[in-house]
Amino acid sequence: MAQARKKKIAVVQCQGGCRTQAAGGGEAEAGRCEKLAGAEAAGTACRWGCLGGGSCVAACRLDAIYINERGTAGVDPEKCVGCGLCAKACPRGLIRITGIEYNIYPACVSQDPGAETRKVCGTGCIACGICVKNCPMAAISIENGHAVIDEEKCIACGMCAVKCPRGVIRDYNGIFTIREAQVGV
Amino acid sequence: MKDTYSFIVNGVERTTSEDKPLLRYLRDDLHLHSVKDGCSEGACGTCTIIVDGRAVKSCVLTTKRAVGKNIITTEGLSEEEKEAFVYAFGSKGSVQCGFCIPGMVMAGKALIDRVPDPTEEEIKEALKGNICRCTGYKKIIEGIQLTAAILRGDARIEEDLEKGDVYGVGKHAFRLDVREKVLGYGEYPDDVEMEGMVYASAVRSKYPRARILDIHAEKAEALPGVLAVLTADDVPNNKVGHLQQDWDVMIAKGSITRCVGDAICLVVAETREILEKAKKLVRIDYEELKPVTSVAEAMAEDAPKVHSNGNLCQSRHVTRGDAKKALENSKYVVTQTYRTPFSEHAFLEPECAVAFPYKDGVKVLSTDQGVYDTRHEISIMLGWDPERIVVENKLVGGGFGGKEDVSAQHIAALAALKVNRPVKVTFSRQESINFHPKRHAMEGTFTLGCDENGIFTGLDCEIYFDTGAYASLCGPVLERACTHSVGPYCYQNTDIRGFGYYTNNPPAGAFRGFGVCQSEFALESNINLLAEKVGISPWEIRYRNAIEPGKVLPNGQIADCSTALKETLLAVKDAYDSNPGRAGIACAMKNAGVGVGLPDKGRAKLIVRDGKVELYSAASDIGQGCATVFVQMIAEATGLGKEKIINKGANSEVAPDSGTTSGSRQTLITGEAVRMAAADLNEELKTAGGDLAKLEGREFFAEFFDPTDKLGADVPNPKSHVAYGFATHVVILDDDGRVKEVYAAHDSGKVVNPISIQGQIEGGVLMGLGYALTEDFPLKDGVPQAKYGTLGLMRSTQIPDIHAIYVEKEELLPFAYGAKGIGEIATIPTAPAALGAYYAMDHVLRTKLPMEDTYYSKKQKAVR
Repeated sequence: MAQARKKKIAVVQCQGGCRTQAAGGGEAEAGRCEKLAGAEAAGTACRWGCLGGGSCVAACRLDAIYINERGTAGVDPEKCVGCGLCAKACPRGLIRITGIEYNIYPACVSQDPGAETRKVCGTGCIACGICVKNCPMAAISIENGHAVIDEEKCIACGMCAVKCPRGVIRDYNGIFTIREAQVGV
Repeated sequence: MKDTYSFIVNGVERTTSEDKPLLRYLRDDLHLHSVKDGCSEGACGTCTIIVDGRAVKSCVLTTKRAVGKNIITTEGLSEEEKEAFVYAFGSKGSVQCGFCIPGMVMAGKALIDRVPDPTEEEIKEALKGNICRCTGYKKIIEGIQLTAAILRGDARIEEDLEKGDVYGVGKHAFRLDVREKVLGYGEYPDDVEMEGMVYASAVRSKYPRARILDIHAEKAEALPGVLAVLTADDVPNNKVGHLQQDWDVMIAKGSITRCVGDAICLVVAETREILEKAKKLVRIDYEELKPVTSVAEAMAEDAPKVHSNGNLCQSRHVTRGDAKKALENSKYVVTQTYRTPFSEHAFLEPECAVAFPYKDGVKVLSTDQGVYDTRHEISIMLGWDPERIVVENKLVGGGFGGKEDVSAQHIAALAALKVNRPVKVTFSRQESINFHPKRHAMEGTFTLGCDENGIFTGLDCEIYFDTGAYASLCGPVLERACTHSVGPYCYQNTDIRGFGYYTNNPPAGAFRGFGVCQSEFALESNINLLAEKVGISPWEIRYRNAIEPGKVLPNGQIADCSTALKETLLAVKDAYDSNPGRAGIACAMKNAGVGVGLPDKGRAKLIVRDGKVELYSAASDIGQGCATVFVQMIAEATGLGKEKIINKGANSEVAPDSGTTSGSRQTLITGEAVRMAAADLNEELKTAGGDLAKLEGREFFAEFFDPTDKLGADVPNPKSHVAYGFATHVVILDDDGRVKEVYAAHDSGKVVNPISIQGQIEGGVLMGLGYALTEDFPLKDGVPQAKYGTLGLMRSTQIPDIHAIYVEKEELLPFAYGAKGIGEIATIPTAPAALGAYYAMDHVLRTKLPMEDTYYSKKQKAVR
């Protein structure tokens, strides 16, 4: 029952709505994301999102993280044990290690104004505040231009995920929202 | 073509074309009533189901998002699982009101399916999204542990326990209602479905205080499926009220509202959906007026009058001896002002009633604390003989005092008579929060004195209660606050003044503790300050002053032989002494029975029918378990087993009036009536050679009344109440200031049901801790700001280790086998004990609840 008892899991706070696949593809390698970011040649319209270079993939020892068809990092919740190596490897700090019971997470950390994000990304947080309004626990706030869930207050009811008009807030159990891997490009 | 959504529910493929919350689909379309609607906001957990192996709140998930998923409700458990949960929850006492239970069962099952041997921590984590207001979670956690053990094969079901051949007083009795509540087939009013049933709901005021200029209902009336829109003009007598009839059924055009819960019109429609649409079509023209939002504002000379008679609703002056002189001559005196907030009952089941034309009147299926009270209020509204109205309680999903006043019942009756069909009225969670009376907010100044040895000399106090828009039970609650502000000690000089003021805040009324939570909190804090001056410990000063049999209480009543406050103090002494600087202590007393000269009667009728004893007594079991206690008393008197005794519940048509579930009175007052009737039956049974069949058709009726003296009666030692329960709590903090443990020692006389009383104590303690630390009811210009999820109710992950201790002594009262009732007192001493613990830790006197600058408040602030 080791799997059932695990306590932590990695979540990727970007769904690649700005088509990061332009830069992605190719072999994942350690440090590739840094190069992509440094070269300003990532081809991504969003400067906050996943670069798709696979630094995290290279860092993961359990084969639990991969670059999905949208060119962003995806986590296999069955394999992930939440060790945190991927989070350390991500130059943009997009991967967060969270408790298994907090299966609801906002998958965007863009600090751009909502209008800007809306232009470049189909799945980015535009700070509309619908989640804030619908959260029964007053656990969500908009900080730095995106939704942030306070896990001290969150009971993972999923209301924000259901109400989010842009599908930013995800459920990694794949119940309130379909699994990340299944999100259409 | 319309989209359709298909998924599997309990093994059957289901398809719908409607995109709506799964909760509504499961309840309304599939009639799976185990899925309870406690808030429809995602906050309470009563609608928890399992979706693809995960515990999920069905009010959040929609039919559209559920496509392709595998859904299980309590109805879909395997037989083995059902039996395991029923036995485990019954045996461990996990069930009280039961409204949270199917959700708890599903959360538990989802966990057990993943982790067959869950730890306590894992269970707490799994229940984090499920609120229980009755049990304090401990017994539910134990129930899930035992269920898991049974399903693993490590424990087994003892079938004799549920069968209950041995069911007498003091036995490990399996509650009557466990099976129906665990499996979710027991009916609360919202689970009732009737042929031709329609729905009604009130449009309520947008402002706490505003003149209603006009009500435009034409558009709503024109909507197909709307049957009627009723206003104050349609109410025969537009006033209700538990004791004082000051509560408008609806605010008439031209009149002024008193709080945001006020109804302005009542819409009746064929379906819930049409009803919601129609309510939005009603337009009301208001002239917004400045509300009265505090006692200070209400007292101001130029204050607007909330009611025509002025803003002073109730006052009391309780005095004995000469407090002024006693305090002047005291070696030590402390004076301190304390403030306590409004608090919300937050029972898991929102108000609901179904009413329908019946015989020459109307019948109401209700969730309340006294069917005769509800009948009385409706009869006033209709101007009818009470007998034409029949009120029957379905299961009651928690009350705690908040269901003593009518809420949905009278408007359901009104609508049913108007449209001549069954009508269901269900409150939304926010409507419930805005409407029903809260615990009174208090501001009080207490002066307590003692001599050089710490022996109390006198008390002077002035208590101000904010009773909000309506009186509700302001009079008796204020009176109990005053009479109990003295504490369970023996000194004879008191001068206590109490005032209850109307404001435009939500009404305040009865809430577990009935005013005593407020006043004893203040008193117990002052006692700590006196102990410090005298140089003795908070435990010692209480022990030196503690009431004991034969001594005289501050109200003049002579403490009876059963009094065991000192025993409760001794029971927690070790726990207190072994945690210096981290422990706080407080005592409390609470009356059992209404007392103060009122005709507080218990009545019971036993009928032998079809070889069984049927009990008829209208005494509401709101989850505390009195229905089971009465059957245990019959079992004790007659030697019959549980299966031979049927409690027919609270129904005003067939069961005699046995008073309100209030004042911790049912176990004692109704219990004694039940015992008397059962004793009569037993005499006949003996004559019949023990053959119950020979008594077929016989009836045994008993009425119990033990007279008391009214407040201020001119006798040397007035007897205010039939009995008092006593308690001492010790709250222990860890080094971070988190509550680690609570020791709660109680004198409730003879314990009728040992498992139930533990659950009452644990649940009461957790409610008291919430009152002390986390719960608040913020208002902005009279408008409640809290949602169910932000009330600050303690969750499973926050609970300390609660040790429920009951002391039973040999000397008992001659009533109800010596039982005294536990309902309220479990909540009273916890908050002052917590206050004492923080004072012991950092020497900061906190005079306001919820307490500031604690582990709990800091966290809240950091988050904001």
